[in-house]
Amino acid sequence: MTQLRAWLMLVWLSFRRLLWSSNSLMALVPLAGCLLFLLKRRFGASGFSEHQFDRFSNGFLIEIYLSIVVPLCTLAFAAGSIGGEREDRTLLFILVRPLARWAVLLAKVAATLPLALGITCGGLFVFCTLAGEVGRAAWTDYVPAVFLTTLAYVGLFHLFAVAFRYSTILALVYALLVEVLLGHAPGIIKRVAVNYYGRTLMYAAGEPDGLAPPDPHWFEPFSPIVAQWTLIGFFVVSLIIAALIFQRREYRDLA
Amino acid sequence: MTAELTFDRVTKFYGSVIGVNDVDCQIGPGITGLLGANGAGKSTLIKLASGQLHASLGRVLVGGHDAWSTAAKRLLGYCPDLNTFYEEMTGREFVWAMASLYGYSRRELKRRTDQVLDEVGMADLSQRRLAGCSHGMRQRIKIAQALVHDPPILLLDEPLSGIDPGGRRSVNELLFNLAERGKAILISSHILVEIEHLADRVLMIARGRLIASGTLAAVRSQMEDHPQLVEIVCEQPRRLAALLIESETVLSTELHAGRLQVRTTSARRFFATLGELVLEQGIEVERLETLDAGADAIFSYLQQGT
Repeated sequence: MTQLRAWLMLVWLSFRRLLWSSNSLMALVPLAGCLLFLLKRRFGASGFSEHQFDRFSNGFLIEIYLSIVVPLCTLAFAAGSIGGEREDRTLLFILVRPLARWAVLLAKVAATLPLALGITCGGLFVFCTLAGEVGRAAWTDYVPAVFLTTLAYVGLFHLFAVAFRYSTILALVYALLVEVLLGHAPGIIKRVAVNYYGRTLMYAAGEPDGLAPPDPHWFEPFSPIVAQWTLIGFFVVSLIIAALIFQRREYRDLA
Repeated sequence: MTAELTFDRVTKFYGSVIGVNDVDCQIGPGITGLLGANGAGKSTLIKLASGQLHASLGRVLVGGHDAWSTAAKRLLGYCPDLNTFYEEMTGREFVWAMASLYGYSRRELKRRTDQVLDEVGMADLSQRRLAGCSHGMRQRIKIAQALVHDPPILLLDEPLSGIDPGGRRSVNELLFNLAERGKAILISSHILVEIEHLADRVLMIARGRLIASGTLAAVRSQMEDHPQLVEIVCEQPRRLAALLIESETVLSTELHAGRLQVRTTSARRFFATLGELVLEQGIEVERLETLDAGADAIFSYLQQGT
């Protein structure tokens, strides 16, 4: 009972610190950029019409929101939860308490998830609402993909935070270069990128509404079930590896 | 709960560099001072005890539990030497947050936080943000977070640095009280005089090796056969100097403002010779003082031998 209460307190402490940190502001920056972009399109001459579901999905939600904004927003919280404490050298105060290392890691993940999912799924809701008629269909089609992609990034960035000293910078480089470049590379190399599976889910969900990848031969999607379980697998496997590393890691390697 | 910290033939390597070498000792109730120059290995010892590092060889046990285990961490209060906090919090919020990680109920959290802040003399200042606190206040908050779960074993890394003399006295009193309550306290400091007045026992470490341990008097006795500087105040210092210089235990004699300073090769044999001489010659000795038998001198001497 006391262990559970201590763990819940760590979740609450970590959640509160993340919420009121500069990470929250950092996460809002790409969302604000998207908002401006969307408002210009919505009310500009080239606004979305009822028949532009494909354009809204491909041109905005998949290529900008899922591929760039979701990883950036997620890393603001996920890399900051343990990575921020490592960089501030405050992690020691938690590690000397009677909580197992894996429990500390899980608490950090539990604190990050509502914030990361809230901002990515909440952002999707706001943008879909602003987009009008096309957005309403997009919201129900794409929210599972955004949810699962965010989940996978949360696991992956926590692994980065445990494994690397300057995890925030590495995660940023990873999100901007590896995910974008590898995720859009030809052949099977794109399958190492998280956003490939998210896009697979979005294309599958949007298909009944007329959505198709710009070049299906280039994209070569998996089935949505495989993509869904791969994203869950990214989350679970990343956390297991992170827990194994964190469990044995000496504090000097974490400071 | 056992207030005992055990280093069982502990060796720690940092790659090819040795941090501590075959350290074997037990720390029980009372205040134990940990003395050593920078890089001597005292921080490594404290980090091993607080479960921050794994021993390469040997075992570190906290109350019978492996230092890495959660059971050990429940028995341990740790005040680190780093000066980083959750700066956005007040002192009270920080101590409360650290206490909450032991799973106490809200009422118990409040009681413990109030009590420990009062003990370290921060009750009135605890609503200040940590970012705006002086170094001394931050030190006291660090001590408070280490004490908040009332652990039987305390590890304090340089706890008195930056605390003003008044605050230092109150922290010393607090440590004496805790020691009287049966807690085992391991305290490291660069200010050796502080340790001398505070600690019941000392551990002296140099180049990763434990070079001496025990009470300061016991450590001093380890060097009875080694050079010491003794100051004698007597009626006839010149005569006594002339008599003493003939003794094979005396290296040199000097007179400073009527006080005779004698450098000996062996303190134990010198004191025996001196006793015989003053009785035989009827010289009245007013005061006899060993000038370099303090912690600094002992440590410097022992360090030379490693």
